[in-house]
Amino acid sequence: MAAAKEVRGRRREEEAAQMRCAGGGGGADGQCGRRAGEDRVREKGVRGERRGGVGGAVVEVESVVGGGLQIPRPRDATGCKPIYILSLIPHLSRPPALPPPHPLLFSDVFPSHPAAETLTLAVTSAAAMASSNVSTVYISVIDDVISKVREDFITYGVGDAVLNELQALWEMKMLHCGAISGNIDRTKAVGASTGGTAGATPPVHDLNVPYEATSEEYATPTADMLFPPTPLQTPIQTPLPGTDAGMYNIPTGPSDYAPSPISDVRNGMVINGADPKTGRPSPYMPPPSPWMNQRPLGVDVNVAYVEGREDPDRGVQPQPLTQDFLMMSSGKRKRDEYPGQLPSGSFVPQQDGSADQIVEFAVSKENAHQLWSSIMNKQETSTKSVTPVIPQRDGIQDDYNDQFFFPGVPTEDYNTPGESAEYRAPTPAVATPKPRNDEGDDDDEPPLNEDDDDDDELDDLEQGEDEPNTQHLVLAQFDKVTRTKNRWKCTLKDGIMHLNGRDVLFNKATGEFDF
Amino acid sequence: MATFELYRRSTIGMCLTETLDEMVSSGTLSPELAIQVLVQFDKSMTDALENQVKSKVNIKGHLHTYRFCDNVWTFILTDAQFKNDDNTEQVGKVKIVACDSKLLSQ
Repeated sequence: MAAAKEVRGRRREEEAAQMRCAGGGGGADGQCGRRAGEDRVREKGVRGERRGGVGGAVVEVESVVGGGLQIPRPRDATGCKPIYILSLIPHLSRPPALPPPHPLLFSDVFPSHPAAETLTLAVTSAAAMASSNVSTVYISVIDDVISKVREDFITYGVGDAVLNELQALWEMKMLHCGAISGNIDRTKAVGASTGGTAGATPPVHDLNVPYEATSEEYATPTADMLFPPTPLQTPIQTPLPGTDAGMYNIPTGPSDYAPSPISDVRNGMVINGADPKTGRPSPYMPPPSPWMNQRPLGVDVNVAYVEGREDPDRGVQPQPLTQDFLMMSSGKRKRDEYPGQLPSGSFVPQQDGSADQIVEFAVSKENAHQLWSSIMNKQETSTKSVTPVIPQRDGIQDDYNDQFFFPGVPTEDYNTPGESAEYRAPTPAVATPKPRNDEGDDDDEPPLNEDDDDDDELDDLEQGEDEPNTQHLVLAQFDKVTRTKNRWKCTLKDGIMHLNGRDVLFNKATGEFDF
Repeated sequence: MATFELYRRSTIGMCLTETLDEMVSSGTLSPELAIQVLVQFDKSMTDALENQVKSKVNIKGHLHTYRFCDNVWTFILTDAQFKNDDNTEQVGKVKIVACDSKLLSQ
């Protein structure tokens, strides 16, 4: 009796132990619980004895591939260390699409000798080395992108050929970078996508399966090394929209606006046609003037463009100019001759847009254009003659004059910026017309931005000091960043690291830095 | 679904960007479509990192510069050590750029 009681007591202890196990067993609790239940049903008689020896038959389990596979692995009576199934799986980061091989593996691996197990363990853990996985992931990303973008291509009416070209180019570049390792992984990925035909290998050679896989994967890094990795250093941040915008800016501006003045001219005709409705354009004109000044500008634009782009014209024009100038004594008379066509008042204030706009409309006619250029030349020359020293005050036409007659004077300051020099050169620093000012502001910004870039460049330089050719970079998402005193801790996830010319991916990362 | 353009700076992202760039400038691809591809890449890459990658990394190093701007942390480490399960990489200087993971779930 006493003995029986003792046995019962022991059982209770065991059950209690099992419950504890089920409750607090970390990742393995589910298994513990289930086993405990089974035991209770099946092994009523034997249990005491069996349990007593092992002390609770702890089951070591690791979830595999997101907890999909859970295989209990009883600890050997020999006291052999528990085997972590996780580390036995050759392709941890392979897409979960190919579970088939695993069951086979387990069923054959586990009953086998401890020696074989450790062997497999060693090999597969080596196989888990990064780069092959990276390659696999990259290829799956490429496939994913290509397949998901296909619809867009179709809706855009672009053929599969383009898509294939995209894929081919992309992969080729990846190969050259050494980011993917070519045929091996390609075939592997294909195999994966077809549903893991590798899993169909005869069970007898199951132990070999990991070998094969690993040999492939071993080959991977060496293949990587064969391609000297050429690090991509300049981050091209979505260059497409920029170029896009650029392309739009250039053509649309003029083309959109151009028609309206022309049509106006056609309708109203000739110079006065500019304001058929109102005697004077001034009330209406000022608003549109910014772009009008730029576009029709037969007058103004000629200044800018002729100087910059149409050298022949410029070469030609000065001569008539000077001729006119020589005749200039009659210049005022000539101007008086024109007022028959133009309101005389429009000439005097070159500053206010009204007069200029009249000019613009006239200019858009070809004949009128020439007429006007000659007129303006005379006008300028006349102003020149009147106030030869001050002309810089009214910007535009004086630029013209300056350019031709005093080329050296105004250009000193602004010559440096290159293209814009065309625009800037003529404008003396004193008083610039409004449209110019805007442009000037635009032009002033680049220097600021350049300074900003300098900062970045400093950073880059700092980085590049040691190995100018390799830029080590980690791109990730942060979960948490904390600091105590000078000690920083951060947890990152979903990262791509480019270290020592090699790409490494991680799911989670913890960082500890001292500042 | 929100995505980060962050990963476009990676090797694979740069390769894609270059490819698209070439194809757009050669006229085989429209810019709009190219952007679509990039956006899809953002999604696919994020997905793949989330679901296919299981490895964990420990990073240690001297924090040379830190910056938090527009929800992006930037660290520049010197003498950094990256420890994998089976691998250790030592790097003189490295830049870490990290976006806020919470922004993705929104």
